[in-house]
Amino acid sequence: MSLTSTLLMTPFLTALLVLLVPGNYRFVVRCLALLGSLVTAILGVVLFLKFDPTGAPYQFEGLSSWVSSSVFRLNYHVGVDGIAAAMLLVTSLVGFAAVAVSWDIDKQTKLFLILLLVMIGGALGAFASLDLFFFYFFNELALVPTFIMIGVWGVGEERTYAAYKITMYLTAGAMVALIGLIALYTLSGANTLDIVELQKHLAKTPLSSSAQAFIFPCLLFGFGTLVGLFPFHSWAPQGYGCAPSATAMMHAGILKKAGLFALLRVALPMMPEGVARWMPVLAILCVGNLLYCGFVAMRQRDLNLLIGNSSLAHMGFAFLGIASVTVVGLTGAVLVMVSHALLAALSFALSAWIRHQTGTLEIAKMGGLLKRMPFIGSVLTLCFLAGCGVPGFANFAGELAVMFGAWKGLPWIVVVAAWGGLVIGGVYMLRALRTILHGNAGVMLPSLIDAPTAWRKFPFVLLAAGLLLFGIFPNALTRRILPAVTRVAELARPAAVPAATAAPVTAAAVVTPATPASN
Amino acid sequence: MDPLATQHAVEAGSKYQDLAWMVLASPLICGAGSWFLARRIRGLTAGFNIAGVVISFILGLILLGISGDHPLAATAFHWLPIPGADFTLGLQVDRLSALMTLVVTTVATLVMIYSTAYMHEDASFSRFFCTLSLFVFSMLGIVLADNLVMIFIFWELVGVSSYLLIGFWHERPAAGDAAKKAFLTNRIGDFGFLLGILIIWGATGTVNIAELSAKFGANPGLLGSMAGVAGLLVFMGAMGKSAQFPLHVWLPDAMEGPTPVSALIHAATMVAAGVYMLCRVFFIYTAQPGWPVPLEFLGNLGAGSIIGCIGGFTALLAALIAVQQNDIKRILAYSTLSQLGYMVMAVGLGAQLGTPASGMYHLVTHAFFKAMLFLGAGSVIHACHHEQDIWKMGGLRTKMPKTFWTFLIGTAALAGLPPFSGFYSKDEVLVTALQVNPILFVVAVLVAILTTFYMCRLVLVAFFGEARSDSASHAHESPGSMTFPLLVLAVPSVAIAWIPLGEFISGAFGGHGHGHGHAAVAAGEKHAVGLMPLIDNLSTGINEALFGPFNHNALAATMGLFAVLLGSSLAWTLYGKAASDPLPGILGGWARLLKGRFYFDEIYSGVIIPLHDCAAAVTDWADRWLVSGLGIRGLHGSVELVGRALRLVQSGNLQTYTFLFAAGLAVVAWFTLR
Repeated sequence: MSLTSTLLMTPFLTALLVLLVPGNYRFVVRCLALLGSLVTAILGVVLFLKFDPTGAPYQFEGLSSWVSSSVFRLNYHVGVDGIAAAMLLVTSLVGFAAVAVSWDIDKQTKLFLILLLVMIGGALGAFASLDLFFFYFFNELALVPTFIMIGVWGVGEERTYAAYKITMYLTAGAMVALIGLIALYTLSGANTLDIVELQKHLAKTPLSSSAQAFIFPCLLFGFGTLVGLFPFHSWAPQGYGCAPSATAMMHAGILKKAGLFALLRVALPMMPEGVARWMPVLAILCVGNLLYCGFVAMRQRDLNLLIGNSSLAHMGFAFLGIASVTVVGLTGAVLVMVSHALLAALSFALSAWIRHQTGTLEIAKMGGLLKRMPFIGSVLTLCFLAGCGVPGFANFAGELAVMFGAWKGLPWIVVVAAWGGLVIGGVYMLRALRTILHGNAGVMLPSLIDAPTAWRKFPFVLLAAGLLLFGIFPNALTRRILPAVTRVAELARPAAVPAATAAPVTAAAVVTPATPASN
Repeated sequence: MDPLATQHAVEAGSKYQDLAWMVLASPLICGAGSWFLARRIRGLTAGFNIAGVVISFILGLILLGISGDHPLAATAFHWLPIPGADFTLGLQVDRLSALMTLVVTTVATLVMIYSTAYMHEDASFSRFFCTLSLFVFSMLGIVLADNLVMIFIFWELVGVSSYLLIGFWHERPAAGDAAKKAFLTNRIGDFGFLLGILIIWGATGTVNIAELSAKFGANPGLLGSMAGVAGLLVFMGAMGKSAQFPLHVWLPDAMEGPTPVSALIHAATMVAAGVYMLCRVFFIYTAQPGWPVPLEFLGNLGAGSIIGCIGGFTALLAALIAVQQNDIKRILAYSTLSQLGYMVMAVGLGAQLGTPASGMYHLVTHAFFKAMLFLGAGSVIHACHHEQDIWKMGGLRTKMPKTFWTFLIGTAALAGLPPFSGFYSKDEVLVTALQVNPILFVVAVLVAILTTFYMCRLVLVAFFGEARSDSASHAHESPGSMTFPLLVLAVPSVAIAWIPLGEFISGAFGGHGHGHGHAAVAAGEKHAVGLMPLIDNLSTGINEALFGPFNHNALAATMGLFAVLLGSSLAWTLYGKAASDPLPGILGGWARLLKGRFYFDEIYSGVIIPLHDCAAAVTDWADRWLVSGLGIRGLHGSVELVGRALRLVQSGNLQTYTFLFAAGLAVVAWFTLR
């Protein structure tokens, strides 16, 4: 069995094992789940390190025929390119951290952990799949537990409504994407859903313009909804606000990225005409994420809603990188995907700890927590500074690359992105830090517990260390993702890629877009 | 540069690049080491961190000796290597950066020694020292960086360390507010800085300073119509860090941080980073001016001239405000603002002369005497049990002689009394203004009068007369580790201008200086002024340096001296024997305006912040009611309504079903049979 298959099967096998343990042996159940996710995390790291950037486009492949008839063929086909290797790494790490912070779940522990493991396995499967059917299947497999977990283990009075809303949005988005995928299958004439074969086929016989004009928006808005593309975003903050911490970590951190991943895997490389037509639209919609969601975040009084809205604003950077369709911008988008996975997971883990201790998520009711909980407070400071794009954390590298990549094509959107990221992001993050951490501790309850043991600190340290590591050495990521990103950029914009990598054109040509068009 | 010299530079580069990296890394390594190894032992923590900075200082000294006139480039680390935008981290050691390294590490070392006593009772002693080390590391990163993106990275990192240090006493609400305000105000500046970098990169394809400098040298019209905008956007970064109008409001509030922090970051080094950065990218401002269509009316006006005006305005504004402040640290903070305005003005106006040397010169002298003044203020505050109001001090002259005398030296240097260092650098600034813009020269002289006035007011009220409170009457001299840095800093405050420092700095900008040493040193020799010839020339240099200003530009020098005499005599008349401030009685409403700092904070918190909050409220409302409300709840509601309506049909009543069945049949029959 290939390394990829081993990696994605581990959580499922662990879930099966957990199923066999009686539910009242909570300690055993917890240890088993933790062990399984630890093995997954180690495998994820191994896979990332063993991935050879100079090697074949897809490595650690596994292929077995599943349905094979003359009209319909389905293969279980897994394998990783650089982008998938990076996503598998963060998925396995965040998955481990999510299981670790779920140690305190007392209500139906066994069921919760099984659902969480299925979620991890599904996410891993989605990133590892090289077959569109399995991609879709694994993605849905990971999404279904989200709804149940929010409904059953969620917090807050609105949790039923939130579960309902998130289900409706994500199902609708997935349906639209599915329509696009089915159309792709029928209109391509390749008679396969295998991504590698489809790409080969479409390189020879591209889709007709009308087909691209129909399929591309289906994929863009379908998968875009899964990411929280403006204006299909309002499920996200509320869903996360009510979700239990592990669910929010996995969903905001990892599952959201599956939509972006699909855009990079399917939509961009297979439909250059669709790219040319729809990317300007995406660029405009980014403004909604960057600015509108940023403004909404400024107004939030609830910590989880603040983090949820800020994560939508961060997705604006990923969308902007994709809309630029340059190697630099797309690399930046992948860096944002990876770094935001760690950041969102860390934010929600911290907010869950704070809620557990203070009994509230209302920012105004907190204060002086840095004095009472120095460890959690310090990590929250790091996390929020990373969130407003401070260098040294991985987010900065991604946002910087996105802005440089998009500058030549979309200068005004970059201006908005810079304002949104540097100023508005700074405002809501630092306001929250000021209110939550600084000032007098007098108003808070007496029984606040800082993460007491090294073991309880570990998930936080792991995620923060990941942010720092990739912030200081983003080249460890870019080295691996560049070959894949370059391929995507070449396929998405066959004519324009040489211009993007070659020496810049004359000053006048570059500068003109920066001057206002209106006279 | 001839081929041999280039070869020499390359060889020196390969040999000493590790040394250059060590200058940068030493504070970080030692700081991190002290945190992980010796967090709980105070002496060891302080030792580790001080050692880190001292190593940087020594290595910086060696580098200055080695590099001479040949810039030394250290190998780049490929931080974010993407084809099309290859971001590297590399160092460029030349005269300018080596000099700045020495200034930063000298002040940082002394401030750290001072802090061992000042922060001794603080529970977070080691956190303080490690954050200071982080700051020194970040600051050296700005100083040594060889490209704009790297400057931006470390630019943000000094912002973070400043945030952490202003908010060091985080349980004080005011400290938290001040930290937040400083960071956010700087962020607005950084927004412009980043866009400026993007425009330059977009037009030239590189962010490397040496390459850019060469490209601009070959083609001054490189940026075309965006030259002016790019220059102003890059200046926005400096506007934030160096607290220039209209982003000046954060610096006085930043005094909420511990006093050593104010001395190091908010007086000597970080706030000067803006001026340093302008010197580093000076080629943008000497480039051919150009404006895009909506700004075409600006014509041939360069960005430099606008910057000069902003600097002059800030200098005047802050000096006026300082006259009516009573908190000792706030007076010094506004004085810093005002002096930074001087530097920015000199650099901006220097664009027309082709050199920012006078601004950089003032930066160096100011760093020493202003750090000393702040540390002196800290010593006073320490002695008076954290009393900061000068009207509750008094009579400290006899109780704290060392603090008093060093403070007096600092005051003389800041006011610009010869032969203290401030006189010479301020003279250079005045000469620059006189050559380029006579109106700004008048403003600069006015600022000089005001500077002398408010500093003499501070000294007369705090150190002379009788003690006005219990804490002042029980004050006693601070311990040796606090007075030692004061005494050390007094040396450069007095004498640093006696060596041909001005010459050395104008040499760093290609020798187009108009310094006061100009006449003495032959034109050919000027380019060769490295460290060694500099020492050789010391004796002639001192002679020339002391009396140079009067030979070189008598008007500027005389006006400078006149400003000191006028300001000090005014202060003596008003405050020589005053028990309370007589100025409000004389100025009336104007005094209130000055005391209220022209109400900038109120205007900002009354206009700009509500504007953003209003936008946020509107979008939040739209999100809540339109997108989620009508969209989702509407969909939810309509589906439910349809469900309810259909449920009425599912009544379970057999007669109804039969009726419906018959009606359906009738409709179908009608359609088929008609």
